[in-house]
Amino acid sequence: MKKVYPIEERCIGCHLCEVACIVEHSREKNPVSAYFTEGLTFNPEMSSYTPEPNQALADNRPKPLNRCIVEENGTLCLSTNCRHCEEASCIFACKNGSLYKDDEGRVLLNEKKCVGCWMCVMACEYGSISRNVYIKNVPSVENNAIQHHCDLCPEREEPACVMVCPTKALVSENRT
Amino acid sequence: MTQEFYKEPGVRDTLQIRRQLQGDYFHSHPEYKVERDNNKCIRCLVCVRECPYDCTYFDTDRNVIYNIDANCVNCKRCEVMCPTQCIEIRDWGNKFRDNAYWDFKHWGSIYKQADTGAVVLTGLGNDEDYKSYFDRMVLDASQVTNPSIDPLREPMELRTFIGRKPETLTSKDIKNGEKIKELFPNIATEVPVIFAPMSFGAISFNFQKGLAIAAKKTGTFFNTGEGGLHPDLLEFKDQAIVQVASGRFGVSSKYLKNSAACEIKIGQGAKPGIGGHLPGEKVTYDISLTRMIPEGSDAISPAPQHDIYSIEDLRLLIYAIKEAVEYKKPVSVKIAAVHNVSAIASGIVRAGADIVVLDGFRGGTGAAPRIIRDHVGIPIEMALAQVDERLRNEGIRNQASIIAAGGIRGADDIVKAIALGADAVYVGTAAMLAVGCTLCQQCHRGKCAWGITTNRLDLRKRLPVDIAAERSTNLLTSWAREIKEMLGLMGLNSIESLRGNRLKLRGVGLSEIELKTLGIAQAGI
Repeated sequence: MKKVYPIEERCIGCHLCEVACIVEHSREKNPVSAYFTEGLTFNPEMSSYTPEPNQALADNRPKPLNRCIVEENGTLCLSTNCRHCEEASCIFACKNGSLYKDDEGRVLLNEKKCVGCWMCVMACEYGSISRNVYIKNVPSVENNAIQHHCDLCPEREEPACVMVCPTKALVSENRT
Repeated sequence: MTQEFYKEPGVRDTLQIRRQLQGDYFHSHPEYKVERDNNKCIRCLVCVRECPYDCTYFDTDRNVIYNIDANCVNCKRCEVMCPTQCIEIRDWGNKFRDNAYWDFKHWGSIYKQADTGAVVLTGLGNDEDYKSYFDRMVLDASQVTNPSIDPLREPMELRTFIGRKPETLTSKDIKNGEKIKELFPNIATEVPVIFAPMSFGAISFNFQKGLAIAAKKTGTFFNTGEGGLHPDLLEFKDQAIVQVASGRFGVSSKYLKNSAACEIKIGQGAKPGIGGHLPGEKVTYDISLTRMIPEGSDAISPAPQHDIYSIEDLRLLIYAIKEAVEYKKPVSVKIAAVHNVSAIASGIVRAGADIVVLDGFRGGTGAAPRIIRDHVGIPIEMALAQVDERLRNEGIRNQASIIAAGGIRGADDIVKAIALGADAVYVGTAAMLAVGCTLCQQCHRGKCAWGITTNRLDLRKRLPVDIAAERSTNLLTSWAREIKEMLGLMGLNSIESLRGNRLKLRGVGLSEIELKTLGIAQAGI
């Protein structure tokens, strides 16, 4: 299976992969609305965009978040994302089976099922799982947020981060 | 009174803050304005991260990105990297009341000089509005009386041999199809374009290695400049023209032997008559290794070669190098195009040089005083025409090849230069443009936003070796195709037939004396 691998020597730390990730996982695929208006509703009284008051509607169109994270330490930097491990400890850790492996071997999330226990976040060896604070499946719990991680852009041939990287520091390839 | 005013601590602090905020200088008049469409700006901060000139900063309280316009050099890095194209850099426009005489170059320099007392440095090549003779020459094409050639269907020869040629080659010199006469060492290039001398230190290691790979792929050469040959580039030694400059950095017999040809640098088109200075802070471990100087020490090239004060002295050095390489490699001498260049070139050829490199006043540099870059030297077209004519008249044109350098912008300039008498050309600025240079003229500051003229670790990563190699290779491949097309339409099937063939050139809008100096006829004749 093709996975996204970062090349540390080439990464310049511009964070464009994060921008591309957000735009790819937005509805409009437009950077401006992906950053500013998605997940919000236009409020005519205040003539600006405010958080959607209706929780059901907000869950349907959440604000997109980046699934790859650029780690930086001085001149050293690289974009980290899900390794889609063969024996994924996040899947073992998941208590209600919301994480699963598809036929190709991708680790994917059933967003409806996730309750936001974050056991996968604890279990991941690579620290590549983060919380999506814009989707709350259990609103009664304070700070509830589902997990999210790289889904390898199912709608694209090449993941968006690989396409956008100006120095080709991200490659999508089949390594054994 | 003024001095007391400056001593007052409070006022001084304010001034320093103002200086810091508004740029490097007290009179910091912005040249460019960074316009940001805040409706489109998504605050991804790519521009803040990418700007090496401290021009862009993020105000977390207001959630807005601001610019210190005085620091902007119009390198266009933020403009290109911005994912929403919300940035537009434009000329600040009317800085003073309109004045055709006192332009920004002059009053801007005066402010900087009054501030620091230093020489105003700059990079790249001469950008003044001098006449370009390349643009006033046109080429011939075959019609009716002679057929043109289609380079896609018929063979076309671009291979060029550079070096000294024998006086004669008769049938007696060949026996059973093999030549028995010993020929002088030559280097063969598949495209008559060689990468110009750009030293490691002036350009990043990645770029130099990229050029080396491109040279190997396209069968041409790269020039190490005066900075020595990095140990990692030893595998490309067959493509390397190694330079011996006045500082003698990195020069040893091993260095001379690890090469295709050796070059003695007398002058550089952008700064004829002056040496170079690589500041100590730029002499990192790698550079100190290749230059063979202590880490952190200034690398100063003297203005003259201190052992060359005459043609006879030059002959000594040429033959010293020839001895060192056992007469197996051609030795080239690079001079800046200046007045009386033909007499100088004639002397150089008589001193034993196999190649003469003429560097015109448009030639680039890593750092040079602005006044010297802009006002010293002559156009390469004139120098080339005169040198070629002089060497022909003296009957010594076969003793040396001529390489034209300085301001070659494309295949058209290459074809015209070769028709004027050059064997090959050097390209520097064009190769930099191929890998992303935006001609912002900040090479001397060592923090090129495109990772070309810098060795700062974070910045040089911006130009990976393979991207540099691929783009430079593509440039040469494309130029080779264009040159072949141009040769074909002139009815020539070999670059040899074009060399010094000034009948293929005509001048448009040139005066009689200019046409005479160039040795070409007026268009229409």
